[in-house]
Amino acid sequence: MDPILRRSSFYYVTSAATYLVIMGRYLLTRDWTAFEIIPMFMPVWLLSAMTASESDERYAFLRTLPVPDPTVVRAKFELVLASAAFQWTLLTAVTLARTGDGVAGRSTLVYLTLVCLVGLVSAAAGQVAVWRFGFSAMKPVLIGAIVVGILTVIGHLISLRKVDGWPALSGLPVVDWLARAPWISGAVLAALALLAFRGLMRMGVRIKASSEAHL
Amino acid sequence: MDTVLEARTLTKHYEHFSLRDISLEVRRGSIAGFFGPNGAGKSTLLKALAGQTPVQQGAVRVFGQAYADAEQELKNRIGYVPQEPTFYQDKTVEWTARFVAPYFSRWDGAGFYRLLDQFKVNPLKKVRHLSGGQKKMLSLALALSHGADLLILDEPTAGLDVVRRRWLLDELRARVAEGDQTVVVASHITDGLDEIAEEIWFLDEGRIVMHEDKDDLLSRWKRIHFRDGALPQAIEDRLVRLRRMPFGSSGLTGEYPELRDALADAFARGDVKPENASLEDVLLSLIKEA
Repeated sequence: MDPILRRSSFYYVTSAATYLVIMGRYLLTRDWTAFEIIPMFMPVWLLSAMTASESDERYAFLRTLPVPDPTVVRAKFELVLASAAFQWTLLTAVTLARTGDGVAGRSTLVYLTLVCLVGLVSAAAGQVAVWRFGFSAMKPVLIGAIVVGILTVIGHLISLRKVDGWPALSGLPVVDWLARAPWISGAVLAALALLAFRGLMRMGVRIKASSEAHL
Repeated sequence: MDTVLEARTLTKHYEHFSLRDISLEVRRGSIAGFFGPNGAGKSTLLKALAGQTPVQQGAVRVFGQAYADAEQELKNRIGYVPQEPTFYQDKTVEWTARFVAPYFSRWDGAGFYRLLDQFKVNPLKKVRHLSGGQKKMLSLALALSHGADLLILDEPTAGLDVVRRRWLLDELRARVAEGDQTVVVASHITDGLDEIAEEIWFLDEGRIVMHEDKDDLLSRWKRIHFRDGALPQAIEDRLVRLRRMPFGSSGLTGEYPELRDALADAFARGDVKPENASLEDVLLSLIKEA
């Protein structure tokens, strides 16, 4: 395994494991609100993994090695993609498992796909921003985004419990409409997100090669 | 001439500093020294030569190839020591070696540990617990352990004690003498590196102000010691870095071959005596002139 990939994967594996250990059990035991709330943590966790990985990265050192920038960019993006795909797969598996209980349904599948894709693109964009502006400059922004993400989830959870008729995100008309054919809409959404992801990766190669802020 | 490293009209702008229009060639099997005051642009130049930083204009070719075309291949053949090496702080020296080893096709693990032993760096120590000098030694050990054909070393003796500095200078000289290795060093001090450098570049304010073969340079530059009144005033006026002492004076000249004949009589009388100038003397004179 490539040493850069191996070193950075520590943060992603740890993040995915804590996410699943802390949150996963709620999906197996709680009511439908768990499926509304838990997927929302996924972008937060993914962004945290990326932030932790970057806080300990030494790009100036990597540049002294025979490792071209595209290889480094690919390794970082592969980790983001693999982590998002892993979490989406497990969330989907649990959703399918609980469809029989009536706790989750087709709209849940679309909703968690949407949230995972937002997480994927956000983490990739954050990664590119770190290369462009440097980790020191981006650290407050990334931490701010993580805090806002957590507060949003908490706020949404409280509103779901306290405000009558507060719309669940998985019940939005657009989600319902996409849920008429969840696998097809999921595939189309994934394709669009992967296109954006690929575009960000190419931009990342260009930016990383020309910027010195991250060194 | 077999050129290993070549730069053409290299230009790089920062907010408060610019490296301007640098062109140079370094021959295979030579030791090239870049000297100059702090902030002259030596580190920026070495970074550009080692493919560590992009430039706005100009081109660098190493072994006839540009980094854009063969970065991996070229960096495999280059040992680069930055001015301030960075590593993963929470990892050990040993871990760092294991991390870099797969990337180099000619990694010599045994050689690396021999160098650590030579430098008295504990491989089990975490990088964050190394001193600045030990980090430099770790960086040197990494650069010298993968069979690099070209060593680009930014202030390689900074932070080294006198014994290790002497060892490093001898090692670099031996490596160049034994084989095909080429060494490029930069320093703001001439501290030993001037001894081993064969070609000298002086940089000041982002420009090369002088480039010359060291032997030619030192045959041209002399310190002239003279008894007061023994030198014709016109010649005394041409000396720089004049030192007045109770028992005579001295000054530097970069035109010694031209003055030699004019001073032949004074030499014979013993009123005037030439002495080899140090590179530091020359450097200081050039900075003043620039």
